Amino acid sequence: MRLRQRLTPTPTASTTSLLARLEDQEILLKFRDPAARNVAFNQLVRKYQQKVYWHVRKMVIDHDDADDLVQDVFVKVWNNLENFRSDASLYTWIYRIATNECLNFLQSKRRKFFLPLNDVGAELSAKLEADDSLAGDEVELKLQKAILRLPDKQRMVFNLRYYDEMPYEQMAEVTGTSVGALKASYHHAVKKIEQYVNEASH
Amino acid sequence: MKTPFRLDDHPRRQQPLASPPDGYFDKLPLRVMQRVRPAEPEAAPLFGWLAALSAPLRTALASVLLLVAFVGTYWLTDSPARYRTPTGAVATVPAATSERALAAVPHAEVVQYLLTNDERLTLQDFSETPIADRDLTATFLPGTSRAELEAALDEQPSVDVYL
Repeated sequence: MRLRQRLTPTPTASTTSLLARLEDQEILLKFRDPAARNVAFNQLVRKYQQKVYWHVRKMVIDHDDADDLVQDVFVKVWNNLENFRSDASLYTWIYRIATNECLNFLQSKRRKFFLPLNDVGAELSAKLEADDSLAGDEVELKLQKAILRLPDKQRMVFNLRYYDEMPYEQMAEVTGTSVGALKASYHHAVKKIEQYVNEASH
Repeated sequence: MKTPFRLDDHPRRQQPLASPPDGYFDKLPLRVMQRVRPAEPEAAPLFGWLAALSAPLRTALASVLLLVAFVGTYWLTDSPARYRTPTGAVATVPAATSERALAAVPHAEVVQYLLTNDERLTLQDFSETPIADRDLTATFLPGTSRAELEAALDEQPSVDVYL
């Protein structure tokens, strides 16, 4: 039994990444064939839908808003996939579209309702309090409220690093920011969050 | 003393918010596919071009159509000639075409019609026709002299009202 376990190769992170890239290449090749286009796109949506959904959901909190945005993201992916450069990562490209959609959504929400920054934060905070998943977990609720107090772009950086554990190099591709700036942004975000949670606990 | 909060010490929740409704990720690809599928070309409505015209143009077009309808109605109802078909139905022929239509009917057919029709010509018919057109008899009784006509009329039984 132990011998079999030793002989069976366990997939490392780099192997998984390579397999994911190969699958992306296969999807892109199929997408270029008009007869297989729908099948390829369906495969792409199934592969990335959960990652995109949670990435968006953590930014907009509300499920219905996230649902609309996720669909918009995939519609944009469909419309632009033919122009996608194969040398870039499909994964980071989709994340980039999702990130821009979220930031535009939050920005337009503020413009639409003529609300100052804190009021949109208060609205999202109220949605957090209504979330069943956080009921009874006071520290987690404080943590989520602290994350919401960050500016949108910094919150995005924090989510990508803390929840998705995305390497800084990929984050740089997604956000179009330098690795150094991202590291600094994340470091400051963690400090702010810890400070808010500690203040709220006293 | 309470331990200060440190993010590294806090158990991380991969999905900190409530999960989406059951089956959401099963249906999402289908919903996305419905949005990206090219829309079927809509059949152009019958009068779609009319809606594309500007309001003044539509008003002018309506006026022209009304005028055409009025002129057409007037032309069709201008002194129509009525005649009874061999089956007994009454047909109407516009004045402009009645003469040509009558000319196209063979002479023998006209004579046959006159002989078999229940509504025979009476003296009253002959007494009225000269007033409208004195040369009318020349068209349907060609080659008949005046003396022969007068003799034929004399043979008819007289009615007091004409005396």
